[in-house]
Order: sequence, then C-alpha cells, then structure tokens
Amino acid sequence: MTPPEPGRLPPAGQPLDDADFGVLDDIRELFEAVDPMPADLPERIRFSLALRDLEIEVARLAEENQLTVAARGKEQARTITFDSDSLTIMIRIDANQDGTVRVDGWLAPPQRRQVEMKTTADPLTAASDAQGRFAFARVPRGTAQVIVHPAEPASGDTRSVVTPALII
Amino acid sequence: MDDSQPVTVRANKPGRAARMADLLSAARAGSEDALGQIVNELSPLLWQVARSAGLSQGDAEDVLQTVWMRLITHLDGIHDAGALTGWLVTTTKRESWRVRAAGRKQLPADQDVFAELPEKGPGSEEQVILEDQRRELWAAIGMLSRRCQELLRIMAFAPRSDYATVAAALGMRVGSIGPTRGRCLAKLRALLADGPERSLA
Repeated sequence: MTPPEPGRLPPAGQPLDDADFGVLDDIRELFEAVDPMPADLPERIRFSLALRDLEIEVARLAEENQLTVAARGKEQARTITFDSDSLTIMIRIDANQDGTVRVDGWLAPPQRRQVEMKTTADPLTAASDAQGRFAFARVPRGTAQVIVHPAEPASGDTRSVVTPALII
Repeated sequence: MDDSQPVTVRANKPGRAARMADLLSAARAGSEDALGQIVNELSPLLWQVARSAGLSQGDAEDVLQTVWMRLITHLDGIHDAGALTGWLVTTTKRESWRVRAAGRKQLPADQDVFAELPEKGPGSEEQVILEDQRRELWAAIGMLSRRCQELLRIMAFAPRSDYATVAAALGMRVGSIGPTRGRCLAKLRALLADGPERSLA
C-alpha cells in the first residue's frame, strides 16, 4: 500500500466538500444501523408534549425501582420518583386483577392539588389530600403522564408540574 | 395548544430550512402537529447526542423526553430553525451530563458501542462489498479520539442547514466561511485513504 501524497489529503481548515458530506452520510448510515433511536420514542415524546397548558414545570425522572410483592407471588410493583424545582412526585404502580393498574402517589412537600393522569384513553383526575396523597384505582395500561395542576391562584405559582410519559 | 389540524408547509425549494422555519412558527403559535413534526425530524440527532455522552438506552430516552418538554417553556425565545437545533443539542448535552453526574445506570465501559459491529448474514456480492466498506469505516472511526468520534457521530445527524449552529454547540470552531472540515474529519479521511479499497469519490 502506498501512503497518500501529503498534498492529496484535504486540509482541516477548508470548507466541507462533497466527499466530506459523503463520509458524513456513511457515518449516519452506520450509526442508524448500530445504535438506532427506538422507533416508538418520537410517539412517546409527542404524547408528553400534548398539553393544554404551556406554563409548565418539568419534573425529571429521579429514581425507578422494581419491588417484588411477596404476598401476591409473581406480581411486581414499581415505584418512580420525579423531581421538579418546586415538587417531588412519587408514584407506586401495582397491577390490578382486571388488567388495569392502581397508582398511589405522594407529593412532597405535602399539599392539596388537582392531579391528572393522562392516558391514551380519557384522562383521569384525583385530588391530593393535606398529606399530599392521591390515588387512581384503575388506570389502563399503556402510555401515561402525571400532571399536577397549579395550586390556588392566590399562592402565586400558576404552573403545572408535568412528568415525562411513562409506560405502565 | 389543542390545534389538531394538520399543518401545511412549503414542501419544496428552498427546501428543508424553509420547512423547518414554517414548522417552528406554527409550533410557537401552538400547533401540536407542527411540534410533532419537529420532534420526528430532530429526535434522531438528539438520540446520538445523548448516546455519545455515554448514557444507557433508557437514560437517553428519559433525557430526550425532558429536553422536548423543556423546549415548550423556551419556544417563545427561539426565533429561527438554526437556533432551535442549537438549543436542543446544547440542552441534550447538559441533561445527559446531569444524568451521568447523578450516577444512574451508567453504561459500563465494556458496553462501549464500538465493541463490535453486529454480524449480518451472508448476502449478495453487493451486500458483502457494502459490509466491507462499512467495517472499514467503523475501524477507521474507532482509531480516532473519543472527542472526534463524538463530534463526527453527532455532525453526521445534523441537518446541513444547521451545521454551523450544531458545530458551535459542540464547541467546534466555526470560521467566517462556515464550518470547516476540522481536524477530526481530515483525520478520518486520511485513515480511509490509507485503507485497502475505499474510494473517496
């Protein structure tokens, strides 16, 4: 193999040419094959962006755990914690006999808020109590998102706290 | 933001940049459909940004969701398609670092994506040649520094009209004539020119 003449190689400081774009296209093709974005991800993202209210505070996924519930044999429960600037939302998801799931939630700091569970069917609503507890007895499986609506207008903050879409 | 009407955008010349500009103004006016089209268009780029930062698949999915939700609260301040791509790339990098720093489910070093190219079954002769070229490219990229691998991987997914802003978001120097080939691409092309049979035409 003869080493290429020094002058033949494209110098770093020049604008991109067609051969560069060709190499970049090849790299894209390679990574599309090796590490493709999950095909259903854009759909989940679009689900999480379908919000009536644009004044939102984003709650990030902070922790997720699988729990084995001994009393129910193989049944698994999941706990998920989301953090935003003003609020921590923790939910626990348990399977119901009828194929739906039960979702128990806690808000910290504890407070009364309207909580919405957006699903691929109709949205469900619940209210948290003074201890910050709320519950949805039957939630259809699939994509879901928790939206904690603004507190009383008098409290000043008019933003909803919104979690990412999750698969339950 | 309950506008469910499909958005009509200019389909052809001057092409993608104009289409993205139209989608951005429609999204800023509250069109869910326009925002959804932007999500479809730019998520593959952001996926590579998150993954090249070393996140697991699950963490990368979480980061992308967070970034797009945060965009909603920033849309008012973003006035052109280039700035949109730049904001998304920068925010994805920051969110990825944040997740890495939190130490959640980090990708062990031996699960590096460069470990092995997936094996494909035997195919037509054309397929075999394609596979050889792909392997050569893979091997050449693997010889670059981590920083170069990351830059090229992300730039390869950047829309051409947004090269300058993506390059700037990645900390590359952008000259007055726009983004230059840069050290990484020059090195890769030198490696490929040294390789057994690849033509750079």
